[in-house]
Amino acid sequence: MAIPAAAAAAYQALAKIGIEAPAQAAGGAATGATQSFGDFLSSAVKDSVGTMKQGETLAMKQIAGQADIVDVVNAVNQAELTLNTVVAVRDKVIQAYQSIMQMPI
Amino acid sequence: MDLNTSMIVAASGMRAQSTRMRIIAENIANANSTAQTPGGDPYRRKVATVKSDFDRELNATLVKPGKPVSDMTEFRMQFDPGNPAADSKGYVKLPNVSSLIEVMDMREAQRSYEADISVMEASKSMLARTVDLLRR
Repeated sequence: MAIPAAAAAAYQALAKIGIEAPAQAAGGAATGATQSFGDFLSSAVKDSVGTMKQGETLAMKQIAGQADIVDVVNAVNQAELTLNTVVAVRDKVIQAYQSIMQMPI
Repeated sequence: MDLNTSMIVAASGMRAQSTRMRIIAENIANANSTAQTPGGDPYRRKVATVKSDFDRELNATLVKPGKPVSDMTEFRMQFDPGNPAADSKGYVKLPNVSSLIEVMDMREAQRSYEADISVMEASKSMLARTVDLLRR
């Protein structure tokens, strides 16, 4: 559940950056765009950290003999996939940023 | 997303099969458990049941382990007058557990579990490869 949510949030945030950036450039304040990208990154990371934490809590419970190994596997898998999605989206955005920065003016 | 749901469904199947495996283990371990009193009933074989259960939140049909049912077939009788559980004629009632049936049930549970693991692996690799599309 967390993966599509994280991906959707990421794309929504990116779309917002795309819309807000020209408006802010027209207003003369370009710092807003970086702020919203930071917001997006921190919220995406927070989301993935939450999923990872859930996986770790379940792993600890399993060691204590309270949780099912199947639940642990599921939670850790979800955490891994969420983190992979967040990392892939971040890489893509940074790649786009770098290609813009390398444009000859 | 459906791929996540399929992983949760496969996990519920794995949980149900492990419950079934536990009951088979109980049957095999108790294959020689006799009664404590002379002429009393020994351990009665249990049959694991599974049932489907629709989850509204997930919008998917999960598997739930059902209540184990007692197998009502006859107990085995063995002539053993020295046994403390023997009745007045010297016969001891032994559990109605057949190790051959238990081994077959165990194989079935094992194969079902493996099938669920395959579903989980396939769903996971589908999700991972979709995320990989972002990387290139």
